[in-house]
Amino acid sequence: MSIRATIKSQFEQVAREQQRRLVPLSDDLKLLDSGLDSLSFALVVARLEDAIGFDPFDTDGPVQFPVTFGDFVRLYENQSK
Amino acid sequence: MRPTAPDEWEFRPSALTEEPLYFRAADRQLFGWLHRAGGAAAAPAAMGVVICKPFGYEATCAHRSLGAFAQAAAAAGFPTLRFDYSGTGDSAAVDPRADQLALWTQDVLAAVRELQRRSGVPRVCLLGFRFGSLLATLVARQCPDVTALIAVAPVLSGRRYLRELRVIQMAATKAVVVAPRPGNLEEGKGIAALEVSGFSISASSTAALSQLDLTAIDACPVEHVLVIDRSDLPGARMWSDKLGQLGAQAEYVALPGIVEMMWTAPHFAKIPHAMISAVRSWLERLARRVAEPASAAATAAKRAGAAAVAAPAVASAAPVLRLDSDENGATEGVTERPVFISTEPLVFGIVTAPARACPDAPAAILLNDGATSHIGANGLYVSLARQWARSGCTVLRMDLAGLGDSGIRRGRPGNEVFPPAALDDLREAIEYLRRHYAVQQVTLVGLCAGAYHALRAALAALPINRLMMINPQVFYWKEGMSINDLQLADIVRKRALSSYWQRLLAGQVNVWKVARIYLRRPWLSLQSTLRDGARRLRIRLPHDLGWELEDMAARGVQIVFAFSREDTGIELLRLQAGAAIKRCGARIYVIDGADHIFSQSAPRQELERVLSVELFATPAVRPAAVTAAAATSTQ
Repeated sequence: MSIRATIKSQFEQVAREQQRRLVPLSDDLKLLDSGLDSLSFALVVARLEDAIGFDPFDTDGPVQFPVTFGDFVRLYENQSK
Repeated sequence: MRPTAPDEWEFRPSALTEEPLYFRAADRQLFGWLHRAGGAAAAPAAMGVVICKPFGYEATCAHRSLGAFAQAAAAAGFPTLRFDYSGTGDSAAVDPRADQLALWTQDVLAAVRELQRRSGVPRVCLLGFRFGSLLATLVARQCPDVTALIAVAPVLSGRRYLRELRVIQMAATKAVVVAPRPGNLEEGKGIAALEVSGFSISASSTAALSQLDLTAIDACPVEHVLVIDRSDLPGARMWSDKLGQLGAQAEYVALPGIVEMMWTAPHFAKIPHAMISAVRSWLERLARRVAEPASAAATAAKRAGAAAVAAPAVASAAPVLRLDSDENGATEGVTERPVFISTEPLVFGIVTAPARACPDAPAAILLNDGATSHIGANGLYVSLARQWARSGCTVLRMDLAGLGDSGIRRGRPGNEVFPPAALDDLREAIEYLRRHYAVQQVTLVGLCAGAYHALRAALAALPINRLMMINPQVFYWKEGMSINDLQLADIVRKRALSSYWQRLLAGQVNVWKVARIYLRRPWLSLQSTLRDGARRLRIRLPHDLGWELEDMAARGVQIVFAFSREDTGIELLRLQAGAAIKRCGARIYVIDGADHIFSQSAPRQELERVLSVELFATPAVRPAAVTAAAATSTQ
C-alpha cells in the first residue's frame, strides 16, 4: 500500500473510532476542517509510525504541523525518500 | 458478586461504599476517593489498590472508567484509592513551574501510605494507566510495600510520550515546537512547557520526562505484574517479557478498549469491559497468592534495597481542603468540602467557600459541560470556584446524576449528557446551598450542555438570579435525540457552508447533504423572522427562545452568554431568539482564539475575567459587552 493510501486509511479508521465525520480527503483540505481533532491526529501519527516505520515529527529541529492533507502526505513521502 | 452482564461494570458510586477524602503529600493536599472492599464480613484485606491516573485529557475522558476499575477492584476484595495528582482535578494547586514528575511520584507514595493507614493493608498493588503506569513503575521501585503492578497501555518512553503530546499541541495550535534532546537539555535550550488540550506540563517536567525509559530498567520493581496492552497498537510485550526475565510473575494481554476509554470525548467514552474483567480476574488470583506465605527472601531483599528511600510524611487526612493564602492573605479561610447533595441517587459536588461569606455575595453552581466531571473542561470550574471564593462567593461544582462522581438514577444509563431529571438534581443543589450556606442569590454557570441545563432550570422558575451560559449549542432537547443531533449547529455555520460549496464544485461532497443544508438554512432564517413578527404581535409560539428569555428577564433573571468566536451557538441564538435578545437585556461576550472548551490558556483567562466581572459587578458598573447582532456581523 502506498504512503498516501496508508495515511488515508488511518484517517478513516481514527474518524470511525472517534465517531467523527471525516470530510472527503483532498490535497487542499485544511486539516482543521477535516473533522478530526488534535487528539485524533496524535493517534494517526502514532499508528503511522507503526505502519510505515518512522515519525516525521521526531526531529531535532523545530517542527510545524502541516496545514493541509496534501502537506501531511508530502511530509511522510519526503521523509521516506 | 461477579457481574452477570457486561454493562454491570458501569460506574455506580454510592455513599455506602465510596468515601471522598483529602490526604497530604508533603505540604500538599490531595483529593481522592476510597472504595471500600466488598463484603462486610470478609477478613481484613491483605492488599489494596492505588489507581494512578493518566495525564490530562486522557484522565478527563477516562473518569468514569477509572471509577469502574476502582469498583471492580474493591469488589474483588481490595480496598482501592483513586486520587488526583497535585495541581490536577480537585487537589490543591501547585507552582506551575514545579517538576510534576517528582511531585506526582511523591503523590503516589503518599497515596500508598494513606491507603495503608485507612484500610490496614500491608501491601499495595498499583494500577496505572498510560502515564500513570510510568509513575507507578517509578514508585514500585522505591516502595517495598508495593508488590504488584498492573500497567494499562503503559507509557514506556518519556521521550516518545512527549512527542505524542507535542503532536497534539501542534495540531491544536499550529505552533512550532522544538523537541527536547539530551544535547539541548544540557545547554538548557529548547525546553519549553507544554500546554496540551488545556493541561500544562512544566519545562522541568518535560526535561525530566524526556530522559525516562522504562525499557532500560535492570531490576524487577515488583513480584507480580499484569501488562494490559492496547490491541490497536500493542507495544509493551517486550517490556512485559523483560519483567518476567527479571524475576516478576508477569502476565501479558492485549485487549480492545483503550481508544474508546481515554481518547474519545467524555460523552462518547465507553467503559472497557474486557479490561476491567481482566483486572478483576487477575486480582482475584493475586488475592489467593498473597494469602499464602509471601516470598520472604524477595520481600526482604526489596525492603533492604529501598531502605534509604524516604516516603513523604503522611499526616492525618483532613475532611477539608484549605486553600493556601496568597501573598496578601486574600484566600485565608477559603475551604473546599466534598458534599453529597442527595444519596439516592448519589449526587456529588464540591463546595468552595470563604470563611465569612458576605450576605450579599452571590453564590454560583457550576454544571457539567457535556459528560466532563465537575472539574470542568481543563479544570476550568476548579479555577473559577477558587477565584470566586476568594472574592467572597460560595461555589458548588457538581455532577448531575449519571455523570462524573455521581451515581446513576434508577432505570437510566450512565454518562447521560441531557438527563431528563437534571432539574431535580439542580433543585436539590440550590436547596442544599440555601440550607447549609444561607445563600441568597444564585447564579447558574454552564458550558455547552451545562448552559442548556442552566437555561432549563431558570425557565422552570427555580430560584435563580443569574444565568451565565458558555457556548450553548442547543436550546431545546427532547428524549430520543442523540448528541449527533446537535448538528443543527453545522447548518448555521457559514464557514462550513462555504467549504462545502468549494468541495461540491470539486465533486468531492455529498450533493444531497449540501442541498439539505442550503434548504434548511433559509427555512431557519424565515422561521426566525416569523417568530420575531409573532412576538411583536404578542403571539406566543411553542419552543420560542425569545419569549423564554424575555419571561426570565421579566422575573429579574440576568442573562449572560459567552461564546468562542468560532463556535456555532451564537448564530443559533440569533436565529432562535431574534430581536428578543436585546429586549431581555442579555449580555453577550465573544472571545477570540478560543475553541469550544477553551483549551488554550489565553482565551480561557479572558473567559474567566468576563465571567468574574459579570458575577460581581453591580448593574451600574457592568462592562460593555457586544450584542449578538454585532458579534455575528463580524463573522
